[in-house]
Amino acid sequence: MLRHHPLRSGALGAASLLVTTALLTSCSSGTQGATTLDEDADVTLTWWTGQADQAQTILAGLAEEFEQEHPNVTIEVSSGAPSTEDLLQKLSSSFAGGTYPDISYAFGSWASELADSGRTLDITDQVSDPAVGWEEFSGAARATAQPTGEETIGFPAVVDNISLIYNKTVFDRAGVEYPTEDWTWDDFRAAAEELTDPATTTYGYGYSVSGSEETTWQFWPHLWQNGGEILDEFGTQATFDSEAGVEALTLLRDMAVEDESVYLDQTDTKFGQIFASDQIGMITSGPWSLYDLQTAGTDYGVVPLPGTDGDHTTISGADLWVLFDHQDANREYWAYEFTKWLTDPEQDVRWNVAYGNLPLRESEIDSPEFAAQVEAMPGLDVMAANSANATIPRPTVPGYVNLSEAIGTAISEVLQGKGEPAEALQRAADEATAALADS
Amino acid sequence: MSPGRRVREGLTGWGFVAPATLIVLGLSIFPAVWAFLLSLQDWNGFSVPEPVGLANYQDMARDADLAAAVGHTLLYTALFVPASVLLGLGLAVALNRRIVLVGVYRTLIFLPFVVSAAATGILTTYLFNPQFGLVNNVLRVLGLPQQGWLEDPQQAMVVIALMSLWGQAAFTTVIYLAALQDIPAELGEAARVDGANRWQSFWHVTFPQLAPVTVFVAIWQAIQAIQLFDLVYTTTRGGPLKSTETVVYYLWTSAFKELEFGYASAVAYGLFAVTLAITIGVTIYSRRSTVGGLG
Repeated sequence: MLRHHPLRSGALGAASLLVTTALLTSCSSGTQGATTLDEDADVTLTWWTGQADQAQTILAGLAEEFEQEHPNVTIEVSSGAPSTEDLLQKLSSSFAGGTYPDISYAFGSWASELADSGRTLDITDQVSDPAVGWEEFSGAARATAQPTGEETIGFPAVVDNISLIYNKTVFDRAGVEYPTEDWTWDDFRAAAEELTDPATTTYGYGYSVSGSEETTWQFWPHLWQNGGEILDEFGTQATFDSEAGVEALTLLRDMAVEDESVYLDQTDTKFGQIFASDQIGMITSGPWSLYDLQTAGTDYGVVPLPGTDGDHTTISGADLWVLFDHQDANREYWAYEFTKWLTDPEQDVRWNVAYGNLPLRESEIDSPEFAAQVEAMPGLDVMAANSANATIPRPTVPGYVNLSEAIGTAISEVLQGKGEPAEALQRAADEATAALADS
Repeated sequence: MSPGRRVREGLTGWGFVAPATLIVLGLSIFPAVWAFLLSLQDWNGFSVPEPVGLANYQDMARDADLAAAVGHTLLYTALFVPASVLLGLGLAVALNRRIVLVGVYRTLIFLPFVVSAAATGILTTYLFNPQFGLVNNVLRVLGLPQQGWLEDPQQAMVVIALMSLWGQAAFTTVIYLAALQDIPAELGEAARVDGANRWQSFWHVTFPQLAPVTVFVAIWQAIQAIQLFDLVYTTTRGGPLKSTETVVYYLWTSAFKELEFGYASAVAYGLFAVTLAITIGVTIYSRRSTVGGLG
């Protein structure tokens, strides 16, 4: 009779949820692996892809191909978790149980925590081989794979960046000229104001104020273009409350509060849908949006982010294939070989490019596969070229999640008319610095 | 009875309870103990846990965000519990009559209760979206001012309380209906013979009979209310400006967003202590007073 909500299962329920991740810490098992490398010995690798549906099918197909080329290697492919986000929890509990995979997908923001676990391989020596073409990955992607600056814990898996996507229908309706690649943020602000029309509930721009990383990372290009930095050179103090930061947040605040030209999204997902249904003129987003826009039949265009004094710096997110150490020379060897093979341009055009992600290396832009994708998803070429503007990596220090939370909250408050940019940023920076010292 | 047979019967008994015991131990008691140990550590899920003694509990006392979350939870409880008890009582009295299609009405009232909170939450965001939602459209047609609803920090919690009421009032209604049908009809007849009007007979005869049930539903709904998570998760994610961040939502953010598993466990234990205290307090009160047991 008394119904029990699964999500409301109470304080102890919540506690037990925490604990499932902590189970078995004490009894991590492990059999003794090969100490000397034998390339011909049978070896079984576990690979968590973090993907679903079509992406998962493509990756499983590639694993099968690798197995055919190397008959002694068996790769057990699975998604690893119901969603990519859940992989972190899954990894955490698998460390405790000693059942972690050889290769796992990981969001770039987890890199420092994973490196911290002491379970990752260090492939710095191997990737210094010129045949790997490591230097052809973007600087931001390479930095993410080396969260501590010393060890290299894996290969870049997916890279993306944010560009300015504009809705041609909304621009035409308001009679505003389309954005160009030479736009400044002033042009951007003026256009957003012109596009806004309360009568038809149309907004110039959409910004997430959920306070999550979505709120935070959209802000970094503004900060960087103004010459600001997130952290000091030692990575111990948050410096985003500099004048550059205040100026950046003031621009967004003025748009949101004075011009009222920004749709403030309390979730991270709604502004994309509203843009697709022609009620928002511009969003700053990445390749993952293009697929939805295609499905919705939205008439859109893509240009790089507006700039400051000709600087169009954008932010890049790089996700990783992280390699884990099982004290087994053979598994270590094949995990590395497989990941190297997978991220090779020849395979990457069949995976990232075929799926609609950006290519990992610039050289793939000239491939026929990529040309076909651009045909299907116009603007993907602009986004690929925009990778050149992703010059600054997101910090990979432990404690970045707390920093992100602190400034995300500050941005969200200021955009909703609560507090002043300078004061809010300073408070967030103090909080972030304290969190950095803690971790 | 021979000793051997008694032992065998004892073993058979344990055989029957063993599966359930294992489940309770494995899925409730063990995690609870583990969470307590975790609450004494600083752990991000990956590094080696660091014992920190009671530091997590001390941090709770200084945590302004947690204090705010407690405030939001209390506000929600204050909105939700009296409203759900009164609404449930009112609906139960209205449905406790021989009218045409009463079965249909009862089913309709109960329907939202069966809908999952996730669905209710998604429905809420559509209805109460300030720009595109149905509720503001109705207001527009009526010429009334537009409201921010879930995007207005002052109103968001009220909207969430309304939506949970929509789902949860059915629960109190059903309990009250059952209790009403347990009241002997002679009592009401006797009161009427004595010249009581309908209000007097409700207030002096029916309502006192419902007192134990009222205590039960109030406690039950209060415990539910201080554990609010699902509706917040599916509608506002704690926003706008953290105005709907409840204790359990805050706990969840600490653990899975900020990777502070130790601290989150401490918060979970804090919440557990509060729930326990309420339950014990009310049990003692109801034993001492004439209200009767909790059921």
